Amino acid sequence: MADNRQPDGIVLTEAQKKSRRQRSIAIALALGVLVVLFFAVTMVKGPAVLVRPM
Amino acid sequence: MSVVDHNAIELSPRISEADVADYIALLKPRVMSLVIFTALVGLVIAPVHVHPVLAFTSILCIAVGAGASGALNMWYESDIDALMSRTANRPIPRGRVTRPEALAFGMTLAFFAVMTLGILVNWYAGALLAFTIFFYVVIYTIGLKRWTAQNIVIGGAAGALPPVVAWVAATGSLSVEPLLLFLIIFFWTPPHFWALALFRNDDYTRAGVPMLPVVAGPDATRLQILLYTIVLVPLAVSPWPLGYFDAAYGMVALILGAGMLALAINVYRRREGSEALRATRRLFAFSIFYLFGLFATLLLDVVARAIAPLVW
Repeated sequence: MADNRQPDGIVLTEAQKKSRRQRSIAIALALGVLVVLFFAVTMVKGPAVLVRPM
Repeated sequence: MSVVDHNAIELSPRISEADVADYIALLKPRVMSLVIFTALVGLVIAPVHVHPVLAFTSILCIAVGAGASGALNMWYESDIDALMSRTANRPIPRGRVTRPEALAFGMTLAFFAVMTLGILVNWYAGALLAFTIFFYVVIYTIGLKRWTAQNIVIGGAAGALPPVVAWVAATGSLSVEPLLLFLIIFFWTPPHFWALALFRNDDYTRAGVPMLPVVAGPDATRLQILLYTIVLVPLAVSPWPLGYFDAAYGMVALILGAGMLALAINVYRRREGSEALRATRRLFAFSIFYLFGLFATLLLDVVARAIAPLVW
């Protein structure tokens, strides 16, 4: 006999799943940009990247 | 024994349906575009060569810092935003984003913008960006806006700082040129926002924001607009005779300044009916063009100097 009970916990609607996926992709892209930015600046500055005058 | 029967409480956490567009709206993209433009000018007029990657990083951090300020502003002002027609469609009053979400978003962006600018470019610029965000959110939004009619006069300093941050990012020091840009935006802010406040007077009155037209009345505001414009126009021309910017800039500042002054006089003279409304709307629209024109001239001047040797 099939179990028709609803699963426990919070069940997201399709709209909520879609918006959460969009937000996750945006955060991933932002983190990717940050990684590329730090890499690019390290390449541009070379050893000078370690010189940090205040 | 527990007093509250926890099993009787139905937990219904709010699940966000906010999409990326809602979070972009929190950044105030139109304000951000003006910040990017003025910061770009502050960067390119600096008398040093800046590597394009570092220039891009600086502008990106300043833009994200401005966006963070916008999000934190919307977090604090959601109650009055809901009362004004101009701002009622913002993500928090519409229920798309909650106040804690906006606060977390703004604080995260502010942290990353300041730290990235400090680590990758220089800490003077990072500190100045942090001060700009602090000034806009704490001094202007939380402190001044609901307290005094001089809110946008003092708060205007936050909007005037981006070209200074960009200059400091490029050079690591301060100089007269970015301070002139700062003063031009600082004295431009009151005529611009008071023109807006004149034709949005009902909005500000309903929200209880003590803008000058609400507190002192439209006529006193018209006089203040004229007085600030009388200071602004020669101030904007002054870098030319002082030798900081060249004649092309001086001519554009004179022509645009004449237009700005004529429209401010028009606002002062026309006080009744649809003509008064039209006059304030014209001044508001022209003031954006005026600031854009001044800064675009500086940008074009640098571009022209850069490509002149290649052409001739």
